[in-house]
Amino acid sequence: MTATTDAPAMEVGRDRRRKEDRRLITGRTRWTDNLSAPGMLHIAMVRSPVAHATIGAVNVKAAQEASGVVAVVTGADLADEQGTLPNVWSITPDQKVPPHPSVAVDTVRFAGEVVAVVVARSAAEARDAIELVDVDYDDLPVVLDTRDALADGATILHPDLGTNESAHLVLDFQTEGAAGNVDAVIETASKDGIVFEREYEQQRLIPAFMEPRSMLCDPTGEQIVLWSATQIPHVLRVLLALSLGVSESKLRVVAPDVGGGFGGKLQVTPEEFITVLVARRLGKPCKYTETRSESLMVAHHGRAQHQKLTLAAKKDGTVTGLKVELEADMGAYLSLLGGGTPTLGAFMFNAIYKFDAYRFDLRTVFTNKAWTDAYRGAGRPEATFGIERLMDDFAHELGMDPLELREKNWIRHEEFPFTTVAGLEYDSGNYEAATAKAKELFGYDELRAEQAERRDRKDPVQLGIGVSTYTEMCGLAPSRILGALSYAAGGWEHASVRMLPTGKVEVITGSSAHGQGHETAWSQIAADALGVDFDDIEVLHGDTAVASRGMDTYGSRSLVVGGMAVVAAAEKVVEKAKVIAAHMLEASPDDVDFAGGAFSVRGTDQAKSMAEVAFAAFAAHDLPDGVEPTLEGDATIDPNTFSYPHGTHLCAVEVDTETGQVTIRKYVCVDDIGKVVNPLIVEGQVHGGVVQGIAQALFEEAVYDESGTLVTGSFTDYLVPSAADLPTMVTDRTETPATTNPLGVKGVGEAGTIASTPAVVNAAVDALRPYGVDDITMPLSPQRVWRAIQDGADR
Amino acid sequence: MELQHRFTVPASVDTTWELFNDLEQVAPCFPGATLTSTDGDDFAGTVKVKLGPISLQYNGTGSFVERDAANHTARFEARGKDKRGNGTAKAAVRTVLSAAGDGTAVEVTTDLAITGKPAQFGRGLMQDVSDKLLATFVGCLSDKLNDNDQPAPARQPTAGQPSKPAANEPAPQQPPSRRPAEKIDALDLGLTVLPVLARRFGPAALALAAVAALTWWLLRRR
Amino acid sequence: MIPARFDYHAPTTLDEAVRLLAEAGDEAKVLAGGQSLLPVLRLRLAAPEVVVDLGRVDELRGVREDGDTLVIGAMTSHAEVAASDAVRRHARVLSEAAATVADPQVRHRGTIGGAIAHADPAGDMPAPVLALGGELVVGGPGGRRTVPADDFFEDLFTTALGDDEILVEVRIPSHQGWGGHYAKFTRVAQQWSIVAVAAAVRTEGGSIAEAKVALTNMGSTAVRATAVEQALVGAEPSDEAVRAAAAQAAEGTSPPSDINGDADFRRNLATVLTRRAVLAAAGS
Repeated sequence: MTATTDAPAMEVGRDRRRKEDRRLITGRTRWTDNLSAPGMLHIAMVRSPVAHATIGAVNVKAAQEASGVVAVVTGADLADEQGTLPNVWSITPDQKVPPHPSVAVDTVRFAGEVVAVVVARSAAEARDAIELVDVDYDDLPVVLDTRDALADGATILHPDLGTNESAHLVLDFQTEGAAGNVDAVIETASKDGIVFEREYEQQRLIPAFMEPRSMLCDPTGEQIVLWSATQIPHVLRVLLALSLGVSESKLRVVAPDVGGGFGGKLQVTPEEFITVLVARRLGKPCKYTETRSESLMVAHHGRAQHQKLTLAAKKDGTVTGLKVELEADMGAYLSLLGGGTPTLGAFMFNAIYKFDAYRFDLRTVFTNKAWTDAYRGAGRPEATFGIERLMDDFAHELGMDPLELREKNWIRHEEFPFTTVAGLEYDSGNYEAATAKAKELFGYDELRAEQAERRDRKDPVQLGIGVSTYTEMCGLAPSRILGALSYAAGGWEHASVRMLPTGKVEVITGSSAHGQGHETAWSQIAADALGVDFDDIEVLHGDTAVASRGMDTYGSRSLVVGGMAVVAAAEKVVEKAKVIAAHMLEASPDDVDFAGGAFSVRGTDQAKSMAEVAFAAFAAHDLPDGVEPTLEGDATIDPNTFSYPHGTHLCAVEVDTETGQVTIRKYVCVDDIGKVVNPLIVEGQVHGGVVQGIAQALFEEAVYDESGTLVTGSFTDYLVPSAADLPTMVTDRTETPATTNPLGVKGVGEAGTIASTPAVVNAAVDALRPYGVDDITMPLSPQRVWRAIQDGADR
Repeated sequence: MELQHRFTVPASVDTTWELFNDLEQVAPCFPGATLTSTDGDDFAGTVKVKLGPISLQYNGTGSFVERDAANHTARFEARGKDKRGNGTAKAAVRTVLSAAGDGTAVEVTTDLAITGKPAQFGRGLMQDVSDKLLATFVGCLSDKLNDNDQPAPARQPTAGQPSKPAANEPAPQQPPSRRPAEKIDALDLGLTVLPVLARRFGPAALALAAVAALTWWLLRRR
Repeated sequence: MIPARFDYHAPTTLDEAVRLLAEAGDEAKVLAGGQSLLPVLRLRLAAPEVVVDLGRVDELRGVREDGDTLVIGAMTSHAEVAASDAVRRHARVLSEAAATVADPQVRHRGTIGGAIAHADPAGDMPAPVLALGGELVVGGPGGRRTVPADDFFEDLFTTALGDDEILVEVRIPSHQGWGGHYAKFTRVAQQWSIVAVAAAVRTEGGSIAEAKVALTNMGSTAVRATAVEQALVGAEPSDEAVRAAAAQAAEGTSPPSDINGDADFRRNLATVLTRRAVLAAAGS
């Protein structure tokens, strides 16, 4: 690609502290709940305590008469206008999508579903009044597991659908020249090779972002404005318009500073619909901020799959075929991405290995629980967990070192670009380099020796080593592929780079940061591209009136797609500026060079700075023919492929066999995310990602009791670990640039989470192999680990 | 969850059945409950539950689903809603009396469902707590049957040793330092207004007690 | 997260607090550090009409030595207890336990009196107080009375405190010269104890002369592990000897089953932690 400047990059690659951090860390910024509008009213939700029931009477009289209450709205009141919450991904042509009203009308299907809405003059009065709404529930049987939901005679959540299965997707893949599909390959292996089967559980998780969701809708202006702590202001705007019949041009959506999302704020929510409908109905600004208890209960959950993997291999450990059967728990209704989330994993179970044949068989199933959707990794952590656990288990079965088994089967460095059995072309990668580095940093051989020693002396504290060699597909996504998958939107991203008359810069991005540090990274990119000072660049985002075009942030896409849009837009600015500068310098553009932020006539000392050109473009006194005033560049980038970061994570754990306590002794990650724009930001993403993956392995689980109540209803019971519970990680990188974008970058936002969970579980299982343990269900609580040891002893 | 309690008393089956149908006898075994109205096989009541910092009030209704005097079995269902919308409680209680020598074996099977806040924030102790609570309640009934010569005006619940229901609690091998004997006194909750109601609502009261006591216990778990 | 309306009082003397409590009857709650009460109010699991805040009753705060007795005012924060030299000297295991409560923010607001009056079976304060044979001084309309710890913790969230009484102070006979250790087992750092063991040990001539051991969260209240205590008399502070004694730690207990552990697991933890706590106490 064309370089825009001859000077070496000064910003990209630099450890810049983030511009946005001071205001985010001190909280001195406009979080949605800090906002207010004149005459603003407050919303509180009446939520069902029961998981499955028909709604009898909804008695609102006492609430209506309570102090400060302006209105109490029920599902019946909204029935004609509330429409249905959207699902944008039909994973099969016959996918069943039940209607989903924001406020339940006849039936509640999960504990926490909204049955009435109170609007009052103060938040306290709204909170007081919800206690006065009396709802009669007639209980229906509760279905809590996908297996029960699919069983004969199960209670059907959505009777009109006649089934609890939303979709059954089967993808059959085989490589060119393969002997047949996966059934044939498994058949062959059963005769001449090995067929190895395992079942794993992906527990239900709660994204637990730090800032609870909050929204304020002001209907009083020409446009209805919705401020919402969302990851997807653009997508939300379009879907609100389509679903609520509001003219899109009459809608403006603003995501102010958003305190974390992790996919959990990638949603079109009942609460947002309700806030808009109620504000519109009352003609007054209305705000709703959820409590933490509400958030844990109803903001969408993640993961939740039963997995069965069947591996076909040769006797020497060369893998040939893989069959994956999944049941994914959708919860009571289909969310925005719904079955799309586990579907993303379809392309990742084969991971970095070479299979001849592969089948992905997914059933998406309704249960009386909160809905599920994307959570950091969205389908790919589940897939990586399945295959990496399988490889470690298979290595043990063969008596082979787990790293050796990986190396035997992975795509070799010289084989890139490589098209996998699932049909994706991995552009670049170097699993050998990442693994070698990880092994060295880890002290692999020494730790194996210590493990052997502890086993010999039957130390009550045992050592285990777990491996995770992952790749992931991110930079979502080429629009044509999304179309082929029947996802309703595209995967492009847009940027405008605007040179202001005084030489400062505005970068307007369609990405929607909620903690990722885009303001800093985009400033670094633009600074290099334009030769402008890092501090003179302002990055604007999140407001559909300002960043008019965008596809928002998720799927580790922002740098790969959004960042590249900034590069492309900046290039256009430089191109135009060069023409203007040449004119100002009375030279031909071909004789003008751009370096260090200035345009100079080659071989002379005549030059014009970018700032001077910008002002000239604004004043427009003397612009060359055909050149319009102002100096701006616009670019919309649609990636033509995904990006494929990869890495090797090694985890050593100590297991106290007396108490079942698992402690991470050492965690090493070597990630290859292509070229690095800001190492500090990358470190942060790796740390955060790894920690969330460790949390799944050891601490977190959303647990329901038999009535369908979420009993991990607060952080007392839903165990989000703190720094005190986590190891110091050793992080390093190899750098194999992506060949598919000008900066050579790959995404990193989710990689840590995708990699780490199997590394930790593999380590704990490895520690306990001599105790007859071959699997432990996540999270590996001391209770479960201890129980596994007791049960293993009985075998 | 399903909870089972069994105990044996020296009284005859008929006497035991009588007691179970005598609200005046049964009601004092569960503090905090008030029966507010009766209508045939149905009744309505309130349970005010206060333990430690937690204080909730459940309004409920219940009715006999089955009452078989010949076989001495009764089945009763009750449901209540917290008056501030904190959740619901539902109990289905089956009591079976059978002759055991000169005495009576009583079997109480309770199917219990608690929703809402107490379950969400109760730190997961519901099963144990419910079990213990019902044990206390039936222990009190058992005591009454053990000294059932006395008429029973509404009075403070007497102690029921936790090991009394016998079947599910092992006798301690070393004395724990707490006070089992005074347990029910200590569990005294506010409001113990117990109006006299028709005798035949004994088992109904039992079920309401189950709901009450249960929700009360689990509510102690913050 | 907004509590229901209540009337708020902040008396400055104990007598005033007692009076306010008596006036309000059973519609009042006492506020100490708020670390247990405020979440309950915010979750609306209770809606008292009156809250009597002891935060300004200075006479309830502070650590002092009264002859051979360590006296800790009920409104002394966990952080103060953990930092106090006097507590470390006279009641080592209590000092350690206070340092493990939750996290720094909670320790600086939460109080020993509040924790004891709340009597959460997973709370860390009762077991050390029980083990060391402490006494609780209670103030009410009728004046003050003293209740031995053995009689004070009656059941889940239930103590000998009457509705109109306020805990004034905790009195602990000095265990100067004794070793002490609080072994607490949790999954994450700031969690309630899944099981914990408070051990105080006096060694003489290289063996254990006397041991006091109490368990947290092995029943509806903290319990003394008397069988263990008896078995430790005269025992060597060795792994083998202590292990044998600690094997009886779960006797007579009725541990809860919850998502952090079932009863069997807790019984196992009790024996393991008792061994570790006693060995640490004997070594310290």
